Amino acid sequence: MMRRMGLLVLVFGVLLMGGLTEVAMGQSLRIGALYPVSGSLALLGDESWRGAEIARVMRNQKGGVAGKQVEFVKVDIPDVNAAKSEAERLINREGLKLLTGTYSSSLCLAASEVAARSGIIYFEQGGIADMITGRGYKTLLRSCPRAQYFSRAQIRFARDFVAPKIGKKPNDVRVALVHEDSAYGSSISKNVEAEAKAGGVQLVSVIPYNKDAVDLSSVILKLKNDKPDVVIGVSYANDAILFGRQAKELRLDIKAFIGTGGGHSLTSFQQALGAAAEGVLNVDFTQFEVNVRFTPGLKEFVEMYRKMFNEPPRSGHSLANFTGTNILLDLLERTGGSMDAGKFRQTAAAFELKPGSTASGWGVKFDDSGQNILADTFIMQWRGGKLVTVYPEGPAVMAPLLETPFSK
Amino acid sequence: MKQRHLLMALAAGLLVLPIFYSAPYFLHLVIMIFFYIALTEAWNILALCGKVSLGHAAFFGLAAYTSAILCIKKGVTPWIGLFPALLVTFIGAAALAIPLLRLRGPMFTLASIAFAEVLRRVAMVWRDLTAGAEGLTIPFVPGWQNLTFTTKIPYYYIFLILAAGSVYIVHRLYYSATGHHLRAIASDEEAAQALGINTQKTQLIALFWSAGITGLLGVFYTQYVYMIEPEWAFSSALFCLQPALNGIIGGLGTVWGPVIGSVLMTPLGEYLRSYLGALQQGLNFFVYGLVLIGVVMVLPGGIVSPLLSLFKRWTPSKAPALDQGGKVR
Amino acid sequence: MELFIQVLVSGLLLGGVYALLSVGLTLIFGVVRIINFAHGELMMMAMYLTYWLCQAHQIDPYLSVIIVAPALFLVGMGVQRFIIQPIFDSSALMKIFVTVGLFIALQNLALMLFKADFRTIQTSYAMSTLEVGGISISVPRLIAFCFALVLLGGLFMLLKLTLVGKAMRAVAENRVVAELMGIRVQRLYLITFGLGSAMTGIAGALLLPFTYVFPTVGAIYTLLAFVVVVLGGLGNMAGAFLGGLFIGLIESISGVYISPALKEAVYFVIFILTLLVRPQGLFGVGKGTEEVGLK
Repeated sequence: MMRRMGLLVLVFGVLLMGGLTEVAMGQSLRIGALYPVSGSLALLGDESWRGAEIARVMRNQKGGVAGKQVEFVKVDIPDVNAAKSEAERLINREGLKLLTGTYSSSLCLAASEVAARSGIIYFEQGGIADMITGRGYKTLLRSCPRAQYFSRAQIRFARDFVAPKIGKKPNDVRVALVHEDSAYGSSISKNVEAEAKAGGVQLVSVIPYNKDAVDLSSVILKLKNDKPDVVIGVSYANDAILFGRQAKELRLDIKAFIGTGGGHSLTSFQQALGAAAEGVLNVDFTQFEVNVRFTPGLKEFVEMYRKMFNEPPRSGHSLANFTGTNILLDLLERTGGSMDAGKFRQTAAAFELKPGSTASGWGVKFDDSGQNILADTFIMQWRGGKLVTVYPEGPAVMAPLLETPFSK
Repeated sequence: MKQRHLLMALAAGLLVLPIFYSAPYFLHLVIMIFFYIALTEAWNILALCGKVSLGHAAFFGLAAYTSAILCIKKGVTPWIGLFPALLVTFIGAAALAIPLLRLRGPMFTLASIAFAEVLRRVAMVWRDLTAGAEGLTIPFVPGWQNLTFTTKIPYYYIFLILAAGSVYIVHRLYYSATGHHLRAIASDEEAAQALGINTQKTQLIALFWSAGITGLLGVFYTQYVYMIEPEWAFSSALFCLQPALNGIIGGLGTVWGPVIGSVLMTPLGEYLRSYLGALQQGLNFFVYGLVLIGVVMVLPGGIVSPLLSLFKRWTPSKAPALDQGGKVR
Repeated sequence: MELFIQVLVSGLLLGGVYALLSVGLTLIFGVVRIINFAHGELMMMAMYLTYWLCQAHQIDPYLSVIIVAPALFLVGMGVQRFIIQPIFDSSALMKIFVTVGLFIALQNLALMLFKADFRTIQTSYAMSTLEVGGISISVPRLIAFCFALVLLGGLFMLLKLTLVGKAMRAVAENRVVAELMGIRVQRLYLITFGLGSAMTGIAGALLLPFTYVFPTVGAIYTLLAFVVVVLGGLGNMAGAFLGGLFIGLIESISGVYISPALKEAVYFVIFILTLLVRPQGLFGVGKGTEEVGLK
């Protein structure tokens, strides 16, 4: 027993020493980058990270920010515990004053709570849950659109484009929502319900499912029973493909399918479904087949991506984080490299860019809650094997076409 | 120096530590260690009678959600909210009690996994109650009455009490009649029954202590992390596998094994993730898996037994060591 | 009414897939009596192998079975020999943990080697369907279903007619007596694990045309396979098949008539109930299952 105690004290002592070491500050601007690059969100977490990293590398090549090189302290946050721990570590042990990330809404919530309660700036570039900017924290900023913008775009499209094309009045259009049941899908779902009511369309069914399901035939069969005109889908990578395949197998007959980013924006979606993906619409962050006059810097971004990672971008998440990081670095330039929360927030409030002036085509204007209200979602469509921007007209490359999806 | 004195020195040291050194990340690490000590001890109670539960997250999640929902929707302070939370946890434990008593070994483990999974999915789907996958955040209104604080120090003491309390409970249980009965059941349940031990009652006692401590941890830890969502609250990796791993490495079925295991594995897990995980996707967990296999194959008694014998050789005891023939070495 | 029939058909096809996954597990479980948490990872490895054979060497997945099956046979034997056998006499708890460790290690090894991308293959028949009286039947799933039947039949004959099969049944029934009768149990375990893994590997190859592989795919299938195996009765081949079909039907029906988000919850509840009410499964073996904790 005595020896066990002695052992315990010894071990504890060793760890104490480990915890006591502090890290010295360097001559670069250090920003914490929290992304899930392992675990179930690994694919898009990693894709998001790549975009941020490209922005950093390119900025450093041009001389850095306020004369200093920018350094990312990258951490992997596969789950909520990790998000909290790493945020704690970056703020308290590494002494960082600015954190960014995160792709996943729930991870963002955990990490940003830590940051906010310590008065540290948290710059979110990918999580879309409305709640992120709804907590009243003054030190939180979000560069990307939030869930409400997605659903608003979808319902408007259903009402303004689909309805006349199928000869129905907006009130008669039948919309069904199929969504995966994690935070991503649930936040969109809430908004679709609200927007449908506001926009006057009929939401005939809401069908949640688990993203890890290996079979979605029950979802398809339920849809066939409900007979909607338009189906709005919110899926991650594998379930988007699975849904498409089974929709084809079971001959789901609908007028239009509007995805909500996530899996429907991935190149693997089109690769797996081939011709069956033709006509599928999608609301998301800016993708790559877009009017480049609206998105300055896009081409350079794609080139750099290919150079650094030996493959084309896998989805628009990297572009969103590229734009977000650029905005972040621009703000830092304007504060002279200072990461003081109050100064940063003030600078952000005064910073404005018109739509069409960033690589994503977004404008920049942060409102009181920290949300960039000029971040926008566009409507894309899979045409000829490419995800092409079709709406609104500014960034569009071609006009949208109404085609029955998952049928070829 | 007597064992009691050493214990008191340790306790005193832990009590005053934050006064001398309060770097927030360090305190966070120690809080995590305390949390896992308590969780592993709680899990260990069931392991004492040979039942491996990989569904403990169920108890954690039930309590965490109950107190969080009461706090956010009804403004009930968690200090009071923890009672209904414990009640809900015990109801959950009662539900798991039946499989516990009727199944052995791996079958019980599977049932416990399924149990936690069902609860997780229900939590995701029952959005009106739990806000589904978006989760709930604890409002930031600092104060003792809300169990919310701006610095780490109050959390430190709360978790210190929880950790010390759970070690104490397990210690008392271990050396009590119930503890002996539990270990007897672990060896051979039928023999224990033949000896007149009321195996059902004993196992139920273990289950309720185990679930109760876990539930309590759920309430307090949620207040520390500030948010709750189904994937996390019912996470098998965080609240079932991790304490099991700590317990095995430290030494299953002992009082201090879980403590050693948690003290070693918690910082190790953090460092592995921070430094290896950033290097290469998945490398940290790969190492974790290898460590688990290695420990089971090489040190099935956990680290405690071989280290103990090592200590015995360095610090000779009063009685002379005897060799096989009974002669003094 | 048409909807209901379609639900049933989809459920059966789904069940066929599940049966395929579980046959290997029930064989291993029934003979070696070990709960292998890394079972799904075996399937994942087979799927990655099939994927690579298809992408890099243009070998059709149904043909690649010829390579995948022996490869997985060897892997299975390796796992038994180097990981399970050394700790065979430890408590069940240790055995669980060593396979959990294996599961974590393999899953993350795949993540390290292949990254998190979802990979699937495009074949000409991947999305083709048969129309029978207004009901759609997916061709690759139908093929998987038929293969499951064939595999099952083959296994059945192996067990009934060959010496090895009889030895397996003997060990499954009573290991101690079998050993006394001169059966080299450890060697038999190697063969059984190999065979069970090979079958799981075949399942993986057959699944790839209509599903996808990614590092965490194994975890999902492992738990499901256990549910099916317990339902069907440990060590009972026909039980595993029928159990798979049953779960498939339950999943399909509850998905459409309750909610797709709860369909897994429904069969987990059934699983727990089965363990309580009829632990030997719907078609249970009964004898010799005490070791794994069924009373």
